[in-house]
Amino acid sequence: MEYKISVEDLSFYYGNTEAIKNISLKVKSNTVLALIGPSGCGKSTFLRCINRMNDIIPETKVKGDIKIDNESIYAPKYDVIDLRKQVGMVFQKSNPFPKSIYDNIAYGLKINGIKNRYEIDTTVKTSLEKTGLWDEVKNRLNESALSLSGGQQQRLCIARTIAVQPDIILMDEPASALDPISTQKIEELIHELKSEYTIIIVTHNMQQAARVSDETAFFYMGSLVEMNSTEVIFTNPGREMTENYIIGKFG
Amino acid sequence: MSILTEHELKELSSQIYKMAELSSEAIVKSVDSLKNSKIDLAREIIENDNIIDSLEVEIDNECIKLLVTRQPAAVHLRLVLSYLKINTDLERIADLCTNIAKETIRLKGRPTLKPLVDIPRMAEISIEMLKKALRAFSEKNEKPAEEVIEMDNAIDELNLQIYRELFSYMAENPAKISEALGLIMVSKALERIGDHVTNIAERAIYYIKGIDIRHE
Repeated sequence: MEYKISVEDLSFYYGNTEAIKNISLKVKSNTVLALIGPSGCGKSTFLRCINRMNDIIPETKVKGDIKIDNESIYAPKYDVIDLRKQVGMVFQKSNPFPKSIYDNIAYGLKINGIKNRYEIDTTVKTSLEKTGLWDEVKNRLNESALSLSGGQQQRLCIARTIAVQPDIILMDEPASALDPISTQKIEELIHELKSEYTIIIVTHNMQQAARVSDETAFFYMGSLVEMNSTEVIFTNPGREMTENYIIGKFG
Repeated sequence: MSILTEHELKELSSQIYKMAELSSEAIVKSVDSLKNSKIDLAREIIENDNIIDSLEVEIDNECIKLLVTRQPAAVHLRLVLSYLKINTDLERIADLCTNIAKETIRLKGRPTLKPLVDIPRMAEISIEMLKKALRAFSEKNEKPAEEVIEMDNAIDELNLQIYRELFSYMAENPAKISEALGLIMVSKALERIGDHVTNIAERAIYYIKGIDIRHE
């Protein structure tokens, strides 16, 4: 079995507070893993460990390891810039740059040293096509990205993420601020993107986890309680705590 | 996230128990009508089948409403799905009882071919099985459900015994073939009732343990 991501005994500390406790899990290539659990259970912290976003928070500490393609991303020589290229991230609130739609996508390519205009144009187009935005914006590429609707902005952020050709996409509640139609588009997009990328999504919407993911991991107070195929988690979870959370007895 | 409330679960459960009570009553009354040539009682069973049919539709609609509006998961999902399925089994049990009642009417007050012993016994066992299967649901305990599955063998045995007995009877008394066939039909109906109750027990195990033991 080919695993894209292997997390081994990962613990993460904010000062002395252990926010993630000895988590080990593996994620297969081209699958969607959903992380569920009540607020403060460590899902987002865990997600940010995978592209080392937590590095920028002072007084934090990581124990254990995360391997991507069998390479330790916390090894001293590992290039964090390369890591962030390989592991893209989409946030709860869409955060397009205050630039044109075109530039939002071209920017990442340019800072990665791509200068060929044709190559940039092609990548902008294919990224927008993959996120289903091309037909909606092809005649207004030079307009401000901020003129787009919330759902379109979020898809633009996903287009921006995939333009630099990552292997992994991390999504932190990508649809929680969107209306049902935009949410559906994002969910369909996740389904399509998984043929090319490995996706980890944090969501508070249990039905969304059930709809989009292949596997689901339930976190509680920094620990991984249970991880299994999404079908099993939502029909017959192994742990009582998972069941109680899913049927709304707590959380 | 939508969540099924305790109140909604109780309401749905009480409808299912009501349905089971009516089906159980239908078994008792149909066999009583046959054994004691009670034609009026037989007619009552056939008329009351409408009530059970309406309740079946009501329960189905309630289950569908909860699935759509509450989107239950885990144990709640298994319970609603199980109720949706056993609702059909309970309705079928009542239907089979109307077949027995029709046999009573067909006999027009004449006594049955021979005094009924095994047929009432089959009815008693199936009622006991139904009680146990529902207890498995209400107590969330798989033990009574497992016993139900065992008990169905006794019903199948009695059915075979009745077949054998009536076949030899028919060979000896060709004039009584029609009446003997009537009793075979009744026996078959009770055997089918046992199968439906077994389905209910299997759904109880699915609800409690999350495993599907059908066809094992």
